[in-house]
Parts: sequence; C-alpha cells; structure tokens
Amino acid sequence: MSTVMKTTRDVKGIGLSIPRPDGPDKVTGQVQYVADLNPRGLLHAKLLRSPHAHAKIVRIDVSKAKALPGVRAVLTAADIPQLKKKAPTRAHAVLAIDRVVFAGQPVAAVAADEPAIAEEALDLIDVQYEVLPVAADPLESMKPGAPPVAELGTEADTSEAQAHGSIAGVSTEAKPSKAVNISQQARLQRGDVAKGFAESDVVIENTYRVPMVHQGYMEPHAVLAQWDSSGNLTLWASTQGSFNTRSEVADVLELPENRIKVIPMECGGGFGGKIRALCEPITAVLAKATNRPVRYVMTRKEELEAGMPAPQVIIKLKTGAKRDGTLMAIEAEAILESGAYSGAVLAVAGVFLASLYLFPNFDVKGFEVLTHKPSIAAYRAPVAPQTIFAIDSQMEQMAKKLGVDPVEFRLRHVQHEGDKMANNQPWLSNGAAEVLTRLAEHPIWKKRAEWKASAKDGKLRGTGISLGGWLGGLQPTGATVRLNPDGTLQVMTGQVDIAGTNIALAQIAATAYGVDIDKVKITTGDTDVAPVTGLSAGSKTTYTVGVAVIQAAEIARKQTLEIAAKELEASVHDLEIEDGKVVVRGVPDKGITLASIGKKGNLYMSKVEPVIGASHPAFSVQAPAFCAQLARIEVDPDTGEVTLHNFVVAQDVGKAINPAQIEGQMQGGAVQSLGMALTEALMYDDKARLTNPSLLDYRKLTSADLPNIETIIVEKPAPHGPFGARGVGEPPIVPAPAAIANAIEDATGVRLTHLPLSPERIALAIAAKS
Amino acid sequence: MAKQVLSFTVNDEPTEALVQPWDTLLDALRERIGLTGPKEGCGTGDCGACTVHFDGKPIASCLVVAMQARGHNVRTIEGLGKPDALHPVQAAFVKHGVAQCGFCIPGVVMAAAALLEENPRPTEEEIRYGIAGNLCRCTGYTKMLTAITEAAGASAGRRS
Repeated sequence: MSTVMKTTRDVKGIGLSIPRPDGPDKVTGQVQYVADLNPRGLLHAKLLRSPHAHAKIVRIDVSKAKALPGVRAVLTAADIPQLKKKAPTRAHAVLAIDRVVFAGQPVAAVAADEPAIAEEALDLIDVQYEVLPVAADPLESMKPGAPPVAELGTEADTSEAQAHGSIAGVSTEAKPSKAVNISQQARLQRGDVAKGFAESDVVIENTYRVPMVHQGYMEPHAVLAQWDSSGNLTLWASTQGSFNTRSEVADVLELPENRIKVIPMECGGGFGGKIRALCEPITAVLAKATNRPVRYVMTRKEELEAGMPAPQVIIKLKTGAKRDGTLMAIEAEAILESGAYSGAVLAVAGVFLASLYLFPNFDVKGFEVLTHKPSIAAYRAPVAPQTIFAIDSQMEQMAKKLGVDPVEFRLRHVQHEGDKMANNQPWLSNGAAEVLTRLAEHPIWKKRAEWKASAKDGKLRGTGISLGGWLGGLQPTGATVRLNPDGTLQVMTGQVDIAGTNIALAQIAATAYGVDIDKVKITTGDTDVAPVTGLSAGSKTTYTVGVAVIQAAEIARKQTLEIAAKELEASVHDLEIEDGKVVVRGVPDKGITLASIGKKGNLYMSKVEPVIGASHPAFSVQAPAFCAQLARIEVDPDTGEVTLHNFVVAQDVGKAINPAQIEGQMQGGAVQSLGMALTEALMYDDKARLTNPSLLDYRKLTSADLPNIETIIVEKPAPHGPFGARGVGEPPIVPAPAAIANAIEDATGVRLTHLPLSPERIALAIAAKS
Repeated sequence: MAKQVLSFTVNDEPTEALVQPWDTLLDALRERIGLTGPKEGCGTGDCGACTVHFDGKPIASCLVVAMQARGHNVRTIEGLGKPDALHPVQAAFVKHGVAQCGFCIPGVVMAAAALLEENPRPTEEEIRYGIAGNLCRCTGYTKMLTAITEAAGASAGRRS
C-alpha cells in the first residue's frame, strides 16, 4: 500500500458500538435473501446427483422426465457445449460428462413450474452407472496405484491460495508422479533437522487428524438467474464476492464479463464456502434454455453431501528441544485431503507449523491429495485451526515434558515482529505475545490448580489455553464517496456485508470526511455499478475497503473544502467541517453549509463540480492478527462428556472501530472453533458416501451446549490499517481445538490428537489408560 | 392432484391460500402467501429458522403440512413487530447488534418471544434451552442471551 493512513481529524465516531442500520430489517424478517425472490414466471431448478462416489456414466435417458407436465427443461452434459474434461474447478464441472468423481455430483438438471414437479422429474431420469473403485482415504489415495480421481493432465488449482493472498514465497507445484492423486506439493526447509534432533533431549512425535467439516452457514447456497433478450445475464447471488462470482461464471460459460451482472443479495453466512461459484453456472444454463427466470436453492442434505467443506488435514509432527527449553528442530508432513478437485491453501499449513514458534531447523512437507469426495473450499482461516491444533498441542506437551510453565514456554519461543517466517518473509507487527499474556493474567488461568482440585462427584476438571491467528488477507478494492445536494454522504463499495462491515465503513467515512454517522448512507452496489471490490474473506474487508473509504472520503473532503474556500474567500487550511457546515476557524459565523455545496454540484448552469471522491487502492502490507483462548471444563470420565464452564477469547484487533460488532465476531468465531473441537465431522463410509447428511447428525453447538463467551479486546495498532484496525473475522476460529485438548489432558491425563474430541473418543482413551 | 383451499388466520388477518396437499406450512407461507420472514435452513426440523407461532406455541413450520393449519392461528415474524414498533425481543436484538448474517434471526426471535410469553422471567438456563432448537452459525449465542434477558425485563415491566 502506498499511503500510510493518518488523520488529523476528530475520531469520535471510531470506537463506538453503533448499532447497524439494517438491524430493524433483520429482526423483522424484511431483509431479502435469494430464496425470498419470486419474480413473475419463476421456474424452480433441481439437480440429479450421483449416488456413487466413482462411476462411469454408461447412459442417461431423460425422455420420461421431459414428458412430465410442468417440466420446462431437462439438461445433461451433452446439452452444454462449454463443458470440457479436465475441469480445473468444481464450477467448471457443471454436470458430469462421462464419469462421476464424488457422491452428490450433479449429472442432470431440471427446471419446472414447481419444486415438487422438478423433484418428480428427477425420479424419472434413468442413469445407468458402472461403479468404479473408490479412493476414500487420503493416505491410501496418495499411494501409486490408487483409483485416479482427476483426469490425467488436469491442472492443480492454486487460486484459492491467491484469493486469500496470505503466503508469498512458497512455491506450490503440481507434480506429476506415479501417485496420481497428489495434486500439489510444497516444502519449506531451513537448517539441518537431523542434527537438531540428534542434539535434542526431548523429542515428541504425534499424528494429528482433523476431519472434513462444513462451514455451516445457515442459508444454503442459492441463486436466481435471468437473461434479457440481448443476451445479458443477471444473477441474484448469495456470495462473498460478486466480482469473483462474475469472473468464474464468465469463465465457465465463456461469456464476456460485461454481459453478466451479479447482484449480491443478503448473504446468510459464507465463512469461505461462498467464495467459489458452485450452482450459478447450471442455473444460468437452465434460465437460458427456458428463457425464464430460474431459482435454485440447495437443500441442507445437498449442502452437506455436495457443498465445498474444509479439507481433512492429517499432520505428522515431530519436534525436539534441549533440556533447558531451547527449541531445536521440527519435522512435519501435512496432508490435505481436497476431495475431487484441487484447491487447498497448502502453504498456510507449512508457514504456521514452522513460523509461529521459532525452530532453528525445520523441514515441513505439504501434500494436497485428491479423493472421491466433494471438493473443498476455504473455511474461516483455512487450514489454520487444523495446523494450530497440531503445533499448539505439541508445544503444550513439550512444556509438560520439560517441566516448564506452558505459557512461559510459548512466550519464550513465539515469533515477534521482524523474526523470519518459514518462507523468509519477516513477521509484521502483531499482538501474539500480548493476547497470550492477557489470558495468562486471567483469574481462570491463575486459578487452574484450584479448579482441578475442586473436582467432585466423580467428575474431572481442567483448564486449557492456546494461541493462534491469521496472517491477514489482501486484495485490491474500491469505494466512492459522494456529497448529496442535501449535505448527506453517499458511500458505495462492492463489498458484501455479511457480518456488519458496512456500519464500520460508515463510521470510517463519517470520521474521515467530518460528518455525523447519521448523515452517511453506505450501499453495496452490483457488479455493473460498484467499484471493483475484493472478496468479503480473509479478514480483510474492513482492513482494505476501510482504507479505500478513508481515501475516497479524504478526496471528497478536499474537494468540498476547495469549493468552500472559493465561496468564502478563505484559505483551505483555515477551513473546518463542523455540524454540517464548512467554517473558517476562529470566525464562527463565516461558513457555508455542506447542503449548499452539494446543491451547487447539481444545479442547472452551475460551474461548480460535484463532490465525488473515488479510491481504488491495491495493497502490499498484511496485518497478522492473533487470538488466544482459555477454556475451563469438566469431564465425566464414564461418558466422556465435556461441559464447558467458561471460555475466554483475547484478540488483537488493532483498533476496535465498532466494539460490539467485533465482540460478535470473536464470540461466533470461538463457537465455530469449539464446534470443530468437540462435535463436528463429515463422516464417510468406505465407499466415500456421507453417513451424516443432516443437521441432526452433523452436530453443531447450540445455545444449551455453551457458556457465555467472554471477550477481551486488545488493541495493538496495525501500521497500515484504517485507524490502526486489523482483520477480526478469522483469528477466533483458530485456537479452541488445542485449548480444549490441553484442558482435557489437564483434567484427565489423556492426550487426544484426533478431532472431534467426542465423548466416545474421550471415554475410550480414559478407559484405555486406566 | 388438485390444489386445496387453506383458510386460516395469519398475523391476525383471515387468510385463504391455494396449496398443494404436500405443501408444508412453511411452503404455504413463503411461496403461496409471500411471507418470506420464516426461512428454510434444513427442511427437516433441525435448525429452527422456520419457527412460527401456531396458536401461540413455537413450531417448526417445515414439519407441518399446510392443510393442518386450517382454522388455526399462525403468527410469523412479520406479525410480531414492525421496524417502527418493535417487539421487546426485536428491540433488544437491534440494540445489542445481535444479527450478523441474519438468516436464523427470525426463528430465534419467534422462539424467544414465545418463551417470554409463557415464562416472563426465565433464568439463563431456561433461555438457553428456550432457543436451543435454533441453530446460529455467526453469533455464538452470547449476545442473544444478553438481548433476551434484557427483553424479559422489558416485557415483564410492560405487563405489570
């Protein structure tokens, strides 16, 4: 980024918990999501999905389905000329051509007058499959001779890693080898690990496993597509990035981007799962075939069976230290199971394993492995919770074995600004040590011995702590700020407001321009009108779009003051904006209202230019953001049930622009992290078919499972962030699995390395030990 | 199969709708009557996003066949409060900035409003169980508890 953000003006709007303006609409059911749209002539789409994880399609007969009254189109791959083999992403594999590669893959599509008719039509489609051997387990799938997943010669997809923009300097490569299902490899090395281990007094080795988990957004994927008579496509989408959706759909359907308008509707949660296109291309094709608006809404079963979950991550980890606590070496092999299409953020695992704590010698290998399962996507800090689960669990065990305080041990070795990351970039300013220190001062941590000793009724009690974070994403972005003829401000960006970022941006605009927050209206524009704006992902919305808004507001402010200077015959430097007026400092009755400046920009025959500030910055400086979490638990050793008594989150947010919104991020992220720790797993049988495709069996945490989540906001300003802010979305999903595993060990003496830390797993481990 | 006429009371208004015999109450409200406040998050009664009041009791409208509502009283989020005249639960949700993506919120608000109707002074545990049938992925529930606790005070105050 070229500009360091500074403001000399009043910052009183920053730091206030101002309720978001769309709050009343959200609590009264007025906000519209895609599935709420019901235009005249609407058709409903349904997809026929493969029951097999790997099969050849011998024949598809759609004649009976086409004959059903109310059916308007039935399509197979043969009807879509843009489809090609070797689809690099799931979006490109609109319908299976001659082979299905995961259970739930669409093979045919129907548009009909009513959803029930479309469903009936699916039953009438006759597909003859020839079932093929399945690669269901990543460790088996890595071996030569495993059933191939991708077509030979398919390129690996590294765009997700780029979308998250987090890791530079790590080359991930698509390596053709005898192991056909290894789609990407990466390696980070420094020093001599063999020598490091030889000189170690304590060496610990473990294999950590985190299953595929679903992002769990409450609104299933949904899209509405409609074409006009000139061949322009409009998509009403549930997306985290309308410009990204437009580019992907244009690429898949071979359309010019300016022929597609994506209107981002209210997004009912994304968490990384609504970055990549999924059902948009097929819905657009159905709308074209029928010349009618077509709406497709995924069912929850389809979401769980054929969404884009987080990868399974298996980490073999070996660490060594000297008796005095000096870290010597780390060796790791991280296997990311990506399902049927490449796309994992492989480098994140390597960088976190070898960079959060400083080992002089490291050798970290990463493999992306394909299997016959749904392909994966990002999930809030992709791969960070899984990786931190491994490295933090390991640090805890090392501290125990060395007989040192686990927090002091982490603080002794944790990175600081300027330390070299595994990819040789320097760590940037961050608050990792600060957030951990804050939790170490918390009474729940200080009184952990008393808590453990207070166990009664046959239960066991423990406390656990963990530290994790995110490097912070970057992406070019844009914003405009206009002064209206009545003196109000109009801010436009293309960013999708999922979690309340618009109120933070409005606060930023108000402060940077110099008006009250109630004079600011902020709009998320569609791809035809909004400035190009990156994804709402990577903890970078406020961090990057906030800077664009500051710059645009400052440009608008400068224009405003220049116009006022002419009108008032004063120097720009003597002017100030106060209470909706530009006034000359020290001469309170000499001024001009913002409304009259705004009016001059829109008057017949006026020679005054309208006030419009526009900014579209690109960025180069990330802002790493760290979070520490502290759990106080009770374990029933007979049933393995864990009861959470307290949970505390301390997070470095740089500068809290809207503390209430930030607390919401910290609490929600922590509960997702706890879900990954305790209950969540997509479970597959040996034929790679999902065995728990409902929200009854894919168990998310409810209000009855949880205590209130206590939040501690730490503010270590990000040098380039808007008013010092850092990203806040991702860090809180990272630490809980390790914090809970550490607490369980404190309570029971049992160390668990496979998630989720389910009652069954805990009870069996306790039984095996005693 | 021919459509059937469903006559019932929705948000205090006598209402008639043509529904299919297999339509759920949620389908009827959303697709036939245009009340899209109740959401479909799962269609199997696991997530609570479709919660409405059926003769004053909170139910998952995706699990009720539409014709079962004949002659009954249904209240949706649209009939609970308006943006300028919010129910105490809604007002507290706005004040505390509870909603993030907002998709679960209509269901949670309906569940909480029903809870307070039946139990104006619930304990923390009663609130936790009162909304345990409503999954939320964004908030972690903490701010919901704060808001419902505050609304309980306001509702009880209003009664006395």
